[in-house]
Amino acid sequence: MPSDIIAAGYAVSYTHTRQAHHPRPRPRLGRLLLIALTLAFLGVFLVLPLLAVFVQAFAKGVSAYLGAISDPMAWAAIKLTLWVAATAVPLNLVFGIAAAWAIAKFEFRGKNTLITLIDLPFAVSPVIAGLIFILIFGANGWFGGYLRAHHIRVVFALPGIVLATLFVTLPFIARELIPVMQAQGKDDEETALSLGASGWQTFWHITLPNIRWALLYGVLLCNARAMGEFGAVSVVSGHIRGLTNTMPLHVEILYNEYNHTAAFAVASLLAMLAMLTLAAKSFLESRQPQLRHAVSQPRDRTRRQQT
Amino acid sequence: MSIALRGVAKQFGEFAAVENINLDVPTGALIALLGPSGCGKTTLLRIIAGLETPDEGQVLFDGRDATLWPIRDRKVGFVFQHYALFRHMSVFENVAFGLKVKPRRDRPTTAEIRSRVYSLLELVQLRWAGDRYPGQLSGGQRQRVALARALAVNPDVLLLDEPFGALDSQVRLELRRWLRRLHDELHFTSVFVTHDQQEAIEVADSIVVLNRGRIEQFGVPGEIYDLPASAFVHRFLGQVNELPVELRQGRAYVGPLDISLDAVATTEGKNIALIRPHEIEVGAAGAGWSATVLAVRVIGPIVRLLMGAEGQPANEPLEAEISRERYETERFKVGARVGLRFRRWKVYPSDAVDHAWQSQS
Repeated sequence: MPSDIIAAGYAVSYTHTRQAHHPRPRPRLGRLLLIALTLAFLGVFLVLPLLAVFVQAFAKGVSAYLGAISDPMAWAAIKLTLWVAATAVPLNLVFGIAAAWAIAKFEFRGKNTLITLIDLPFAVSPVIAGLIFILIFGANGWFGGYLRAHHIRVVFALPGIVLATLFVTLPFIARELIPVMQAQGKDDEETALSLGASGWQTFWHITLPNIRWALLYGVLLCNARAMGEFGAVSVVSGHIRGLTNTMPLHVEILYNEYNHTAAFAVASLLAMLAMLTLAAKSFLESRQPQLRHAVSQPRDRTRRQQT
Repeated sequence: MSIALRGVAKQFGEFAAVENINLDVPTGALIALLGPSGCGKTTLLRIIAGLETPDEGQVLFDGRDATLWPIRDRKVGFVFQHYALFRHMSVFENVAFGLKVKPRRDRPTTAEIRSRVYSLLELVQLRWAGDRYPGQLSGGQRQRVALARALAVNPDVLLLDEPFGALDSQVRLELRRWLRRLHDELHFTSVFVTHDQQEAIEVADSIVVLNRGRIEQFGVPGEIYDLPASAFVHRFLGQVNELPVELRQGRAYVGPLDISLDAVATTEGKNIALIRPHEIEVGAAGAGWSATVLAVRVIGPIVRLLMGAEGQPANEPLEAEISRERYETERFKVGARVGLRFRRWKVYPSDAVDHAWQSQS
């Protein structure tokens, strides 16, 4: 399934801070075996399924593929997915920066709890995340009566889908920013303030340029997950065709109707998104040496406690 | 601008970083805050800058209460140990930053900014580096850029947090002399933090010695070195020999030597005498406290002798410093018998000896 591919891409992403510069030793049997094993594993579990998606998608020719994608229901799912991502990602962007800022630049009670809480969506199954919102906003939920009385639809509508997506994607940007901002410390910001800059000028001219690559990277991952999320969205969406079906949900419906070609055609779009994300991620990582160089000025973060 | 601190205190959680600090820095002075790590010197500097708010007390700028002024209104230049240069900006842009962020009505024209930045870069001898990025400069050059940047906005006060701490010793020596000259030319009020007593003595007009969040002594460098107000200051500025002292009927005895009492100590019994290595006179055997030379180290113009004095534990040798000239004539050798006298000493109650900082020296 496409969401697996995206999940795999995301799992790989956490190794990006390690870049080996070891001198190359002479090839040995063990090394070759390990490489072969890794490649075989990747081939069977990643490349082959990805290829299968495209093979299936084009099984009945290009026109069938284009037909499946331009189908009004498919098109509605694509548009909905884009809407959800366009809402959830900016909201997470604001939250991510605010949370990372608070954690990296201030000392306060309960900071560790906050960091743990930000990770909560990683630990909770997406299905549970969806059910939480049904419990709160559903017809029999806490606010169900109030919402019905005021004709506000949350679950089985766009707001519910956005909420579920927000929940699932919450950690992505904050997690990318926190280590970068912690490593950079507060000296730059304090210097800017002492030079007469306002808080906004400091953020815009000093903080943002310092975190831009990590921020872009987080946005990218957040977007990939927002578009690919299945479980949480499935619970709150209600599966109304043309209305509340995102792309992953649409793929499932088509598949359950034995419409394999159409299912894989839409899936191929998600797969392409995943590949684009990975390409963009590699590009950003190629900018990492610069980022790393920037961070390499030693910063004494604990000094305030010491002196 | 003159700075005054009145009863300033600051806690971090349970830890009292500074307590009841009273200090007057006159306009145009160059003051060093000196002390071991954890003594509160950086916290004090950050309170003056407005980067921390004191829990108690007042900060006065020219007699006006500035305790709650935000940092951007204080007209202080702050220089960090690790320079805090903006890495994504060229050296020129770094220095120009403070001018460019001014509100439109106060902001100089582009041409004015340009000429001001280049005159500052001239001042720090980095005119050639305007287009470079911080990553392309050495540590000493970066710190000079940080200074130029801080000076760009014409601060009334320049605050420096261990400004030379991250530099190697040669560059350090050069930069601190350069800072002193700069200060003499420009006459702003400066406060700098250091844990290096030599740096403080060489650069500052007056030194504030801090220990455990309190001021131990405030005075001119010579006075602090020669007339330390406490055992802590005595030990922190320069090297000392420590010897247990017996007080008997108003006389003090170090080993067999009867030293008269210029002492802080008043209690009978066990006290401690602090004697600097150059205050020990090494003479021919028979006169004074007899001792054996254990080691001789020639360090440029001075010679350091390690000596085992009679009755002293073997693992606590005394250290004396004599001039090279004297060493050339006397030629003390390892194993030679000598007699020791003390030119100066000071006796403190032994509970005044603070071991907290020893592990860091």
